[in-house]
Amino acid sequence: MTLVEISSDAFIAAFFLYCASFFMYTIAVMGRRFRKRDPEAHLAKWGKIAFITGVLGLVGHLIYFFTRWAGAGHVPVSNMYEFMSFMALAIMIAFLILYFIYKKSLLGLFALPLTILIMAYAAVFPQEVQPLIPSLQSYWLGIHVTLAALGDAFFAVGFIAGLMHLLRTVDFSQSGKSSRREQRWLELCMFLIVVLIGFIVSVYSFRAGGYEAVFNQPQVDPETETSTIVRVEYSMPPLVAPYNSETESMTSFLGMKSPLFEAPSWMEGVNAGRKFNTVLWSVLSGAILYGLFRLILRKPIALFIQPALKRLNPDDLDEISYRAIAIGFPVFTLGGLIFAMIWAEIAWGRFWGWDPKEVWALITWLFYSVYLHFRLSRGWQGKYSSWLSVIGFIVVMFTLVGVNLIIAGLHSYAGTD
Amino acid sequence: MSQGPKSQSLIQNTKCECGHQNPVGTVLCEACGKPLTEEAEAQPILEMRYDGVARRSQKANPGLIDRVWNFFSSVKVAIYLILITLIGSSLGTIFPQESTFLNIDGSVYYKQEYGTIGHIYYLLGLSNTYTSWWFVLLLIMIGASLVICSLDRVLPLYKALSRQRIPKHMSFLTRQKVVYQGAVEEDGAAWVERVKPVIRKKGYRVRTDGGTLLAEKQRFSRWGPYILHIGLIVFLLAVLARNLPGLHMDEHMAFPEGEPVHIKNTSYYLMNDGFEVEFYTEDDLPNEFKGRGKVLPKRFETQAILYRCDANCDNPAAEPELVEVTRHNIEVNKPLNYEGLKAYQFDYDLTPILRSVSPVLINRKTGEEYGKIELSIGDPVKEYEAGEYRLTLREYYQDFGLGDNGEPVNLSSRPNAPAYLFQIEGPDLPGEGIRYFYFPKQVDKERFQQDAINAQLAGGEVLFDLDVQGMEDVDFAASTTYLNIRVDKAMPFIWVGAFIGMVGLVMGFYFHHRRIWLRIDEGTLTLGAHTNKNWFGLRREVSAILKQMGIDVDEKSLDNNRGSQS
Repeated sequence: MTLVEISSDAFIAAFFLYCASFFMYTIAVMGRRFRKRDPEAHLAKWGKIAFITGVLGLVGHLIYFFTRWAGAGHVPVSNMYEFMSFMALAIMIAFLILYFIYKKSLLGLFALPLTILIMAYAAVFPQEVQPLIPSLQSYWLGIHVTLAALGDAFFAVGFIAGLMHLLRTVDFSQSGKSSRREQRWLELCMFLIVVLIGFIVSVYSFRAGGYEAVFNQPQVDPETETSTIVRVEYSMPPLVAPYNSETESMTSFLGMKSPLFEAPSWMEGVNAGRKFNTVLWSVLSGAILYGLFRLILRKPIALFIQPALKRLNPDDLDEISYRAIAIGFPVFTLGGLIFAMIWAEIAWGRFWGWDPKEVWALITWLFYSVYLHFRLSRGWQGKYSSWLSVIGFIVVMFTLVGVNLIIAGLHSYAGTD
Repeated sequence: MSQGPKSQSLIQNTKCECGHQNPVGTVLCEACGKPLTEEAEAQPILEMRYDGVARRSQKANPGLIDRVWNFFSSVKVAIYLILITLIGSSLGTIFPQESTFLNIDGSVYYKQEYGTIGHIYYLLGLSNTYTSWWFVLLLIMIGASLVICSLDRVLPLYKALSRQRIPKHMSFLTRQKVVYQGAVEEDGAAWVERVKPVIRKKGYRVRTDGGTLLAEKQRFSRWGPYILHIGLIVFLLAVLARNLPGLHMDEHMAFPEGEPVHIKNTSYYLMNDGFEVEFYTEDDLPNEFKGRGKVLPKRFETQAILYRCDANCDNPAAEPELVEVTRHNIEVNKPLNYEGLKAYQFDYDLTPILRSVSPVLINRKTGEEYGKIELSIGDPVKEYEAGEYRLTLREYYQDFGLGDNGEPVNLSSRPNAPAYLFQIEGPDLPGEGIRYFYFPKQVDKERFQQDAINAQLAGGEVLFDLDVQGMEDVDFAASTTYLNIRVDKAMPFIWVGAFIGMVGLVMGFYFHHRRIWLRIDEGTLTLGAHTNKNWFGLRREVSAILKQMGIDVDEKSLDNNRGSQS
């Protein structure tokens, strides 16, 4: 067994340990309502078991990281699979640090599903070890990427605590205009999380079913103005075909024998059609999943989760959220901006080049500095600041994933489509 | 002016009942902490920002400069400036910036690539977002805001914190966020003496005044944000200074193997003494790349020699005198750096390039050889001798082509199709000599019909020929490396700014200013505590201190619930 194979097994072990930990957290919170026993003791006991399982998962995750490092010969943060796996690892580390400060193990009830989702997302991408192009061959790759990801992971924990604060405090019994709005936005957050689940579910289902469709799309090279035919391979049934393309082959899906429609002309990039199709499938399966949840629960998801958080003090959650962001901010500044600048200076001869990824790292930084300044103002603690932590996390995710998928630039090196 | 009476009344009210005269705008008395304004009086928990001191901007009668100062001193304005910058920067990422390309015409490119939306993007100036006047103005305004916000607060705060008095007003203590009140049996002063070492052990500096106490630690963390702001100002100034002439150079240059190339505006020459590239083999590639004919470079390196020119630098007629100063193998991530002049590996081209040819002047009829000349393709000299004949260079084209009217033109500055027009003088020729066009590359000779041109120039018969006789007379550069030559004298300041900022961040975020005040009045202990971050830790510390004094309180119950709890 090679090191890289050990590493893959450790990844899977970590994933299932995290899932088990999440399951136990659910028992910890749900169980106390059904059983006739001391609810405090039940929560403490199962919370502890869940936490230890989570830590075991983290150990497995660390084994994955270091064996892959040894096996591949470079820090495993060079493509989307490796980076997202590391992101999940960093979130667990940030969660652990916040746990040691505040001893609120219930934070894991939300930190673990986020970690699990990100790991599952990581595994969507090709997992083979890829050779490094010369510009990535530097020890700064490890220093810059890991530290930036750790900073982002603290922002993620800030988001988790902020979201928990909102789930704890948004009052679903009120029907005033502003409470209605709050309820709707919170439920929208829940819906977006379900869409992410929908994306992962649909990717794996169609992958398991071995679905394939192939299109031929002419692409014009702007410099030479010559046209070449590019093959676009879909692994999900084409609701939408690439712009101006011809179907080469297509497995029929539920009686659907041809694409329902074609992408608009401005989506003419090589993979734009396929990405658009993936987004459609994610929203579609997310909506179906969400509908199922609503049918079973018979109430908004946020309202369903709310009782689980009753025992938590909202002020504590608010402080944890703020503290996580306050810890993450210097880490992100150092890893995501200063070390990035040092490396850029060494590799490309300029410390800053307004590359989209750089700009979005700056936007993340500016956003959280706005957050920190708002915390100074009266009335911006609690709910408002929790909302900001949620928006901040969306900015972070866009910087990490969205920029690579939509904008591209110098940082779009490997396997992002 | 309408504010006259109001400010008048403010001045009168700023004298606290403890006898201290506070400046206008003071929220909490500088001496005893009693709330002074109606607003502060109404707060269930005191707003402790900047310890309630008056800021510089809170003046009675603001003049024009004061108004500008007031504008930039507002945190709200700072937040808006950051938000606008944030949105502005995100607009710049919608389409690639013009600076990402080495040479494009924006007015054509964006329309071609992205259609009408792209053209509008270009017309709005968003294709150069980060160098646009409004973006630079935003950065300058943020800089002004950083300076003024900091000055406005740091000086009064410094004064307030260095002049703290120990006894505090009751309403100051009971309206802190962390509060405890309870009975104490022994004498107040004695209890305070007893608690002193306990608090000290937690790392606090403790001062007492009879039955009152002030304990404080890590006050320096309050300066963190201001030090961060100083770092950011240094950084921003360094960024702006890069636009000054002479401080910044950024050139992309081609270096064919084996010849020193002059680096513009410097006295340096750099020679590519050999270029190597190594590719990943098929076995190194993951399966998804295999069989796709994908070529992935593993490593490429320019063996560079840097020369300084000591004489004849600007004299085209003479060879410059070059002195080697350094050698370095330039790789990506391993640039050459000589006294601030940096050369970065940027790109490479493995197509061989013609460097010089040594043709022989021959008589076309008899085949008699008159002599050999050595012609440098990129850098020809004015005159050549071939036996008894003299060749004077009249015209020289790097990339020969024919213009709209059929006249010869230079299509680009790349040596794609070099061409030379000579005036040949010597025996058996008319006084002024004859003109002769020479294309060193065989393809160009045919493409542009060298013989036909020369026949026309000579007015009939072509008398001479310049002919390369063997491969030893042709000199090729095997490959060309492209280096990015940079000088950036502001860089040290950028790093200094970043370092100062980082120090400020660590001070401000990883240390917490904590203060505990307490007083004992007739057997009642009143304790108030404040921190700027991490209330959880402060409550834990206060509870531990009280516990050691024999008072058992739950951490959570120290939280001042006045009005905040539903």
